[in-house]
Amino acid sequence: MDGVMTQKKTNEKLGGKDLINIGIYAAIYCVIMTAVSMLGFIPIMMPMLSVLCPLIGGITMMLFYTKVKKFGMITIITIIIGAYLWITGMGYWPFVFGIVCGLAADFVAKSGNYLSKKKTVLSHAIMNVTIFGCFLPLYLDINGYFSSRTSFGSDYVEALTRIFRPWTAPVILACCFVFGVLGALLGMHFLKKHFEKAGIV
Amino acid sequence: MEKALYNPGKLDRGILMDPRTKLLLLITVTTFALGGAGGRRCENLVPVLCMAPFLLLFTAKRFKTAIIGIILFWGSSTLLTFANAHNMGGFLYYIILGSCGVLGRFLPCIMMGRYLMESTTVSEFTKAMKKLHVSDNIIIPLSVMFRFFPTVIDEADSISCAMKMRGISIGGKHASKMVEYRMVPLMTCCVNIGEELSAAALTRGLGGEVKRTNICKIGFHVQDFIAISLCLVPWILLIVDVVK
Repeated sequence: MDGVMTQKKTNEKLGGKDLINIGIYAAIYCVIMTAVSMLGFIPIMMPMLSVLCPLIGGITMMLFYTKVKKFGMITIITIIIGAYLWITGMGYWPFVFGIVCGLAADFVAKSGNYLSKKKTVLSHAIMNVTIFGCFLPLYLDINGYFSSRTSFGSDYVEALTRIFRPWTAPVILACCFVFGVLGALLGMHFLKKHFEKAGIV
Repeated sequence: MEKALYNPGKLDRGILMDPRTKLLLLITVTTFALGGAGGRRCENLVPVLCMAPFLLLFTAKRFKTAIIGIILFWGSSTLLTFANAHNMGGFLYYIILGSCGVLGRFLPCIMMGRYLMESTTVSEFTKAMKKLHVSDNIIIPLSVMFRFFPTVIDEADSISCAMKMRGISIGGKHASKMVEYRMVPLMTCCVNIGEELSAAALTRGLGGEVKRTNICKIGFHVQDFIAISLCLVPWILLIVDVVK
């Protein structure tokens, strides 16, 4: 009995293979996110990040979710993504959001034993709220943010100020969530269409 | 990309710095030069912080990268001033604004990231993180990520070339298929490479029960103290600002 218990305990702990998987998928996700973020310099496209990142990243993440069997993996990948956003200059809010959203997403996925499809979709949507963290400084301190961005030219700032009215904050938050759901569904579709056939799931 | 990027350990690396100092520099540059924290008070410091990565690349004997970076930085800022001075409007202005904005703003951070990656070996990085008492659960994925970035970018480039040939690109014949036709091959090959990578790492004892040792010698020297004191100035200003 004791032997069974210890074996179960070691199974719960994250092994080397799990951690390497996290690193690999985080790298793929970050590269995709960077490619998408480059669109953010056309003023109209900036809020679109909350649409495109969850949607395209969903494909990567659904593949990652098939590898998740233990508690902690989703938390760690979200923290790493948040830290990456911080390092690439989105401020520290994504990092804070990453810790909170990552834990929440992990708990949701765990409640479905990492197998339930509905819970996976919900968990992915919660995870993507992290991206809202990038936009938070825009609403918290709108003048402070733009005073430091005058080097972009007044037109750019004007276009951005017009886009970021306070009522758009919940819209962006909702966008992250809804497109997180859609991204997860798209990812699952791709999973069935391509990856299962190729035998990498 | 040159091979040196992935294997800095075997080359002459010039003046060595502690990875922790480099991390501090990276965070400082991204927070103040890119994120624009501190506002007006730190405005005079921003150019200093922007030039720091180029100087550091010189000290690490990465002359080519540093010179390309300086030319791009200087060129983009000149073009931007030119566009502003002539009061250009419309679509062309947005394009100049967009591309120069990206370069001028992100280049110092990208260069700082390049410097961190080019001058630090993965084991030095791991040791530094260990000394910062970061959990193993974060260190291993991070070091795998650092190792894996160039691979993903390389694969994505090759796939993009192949797909351009078939007209699957922005402005091509089959632009609508872009996401599917690029993402799926990228994922497939990256996952396969990842499997091999993890097999190789596990063979070398990653993820074992025993405590891992590290033979890298890292520590703070004169150059570290100079860099740290440079970094502390904007942080102190920020803290003073917040306390007030």
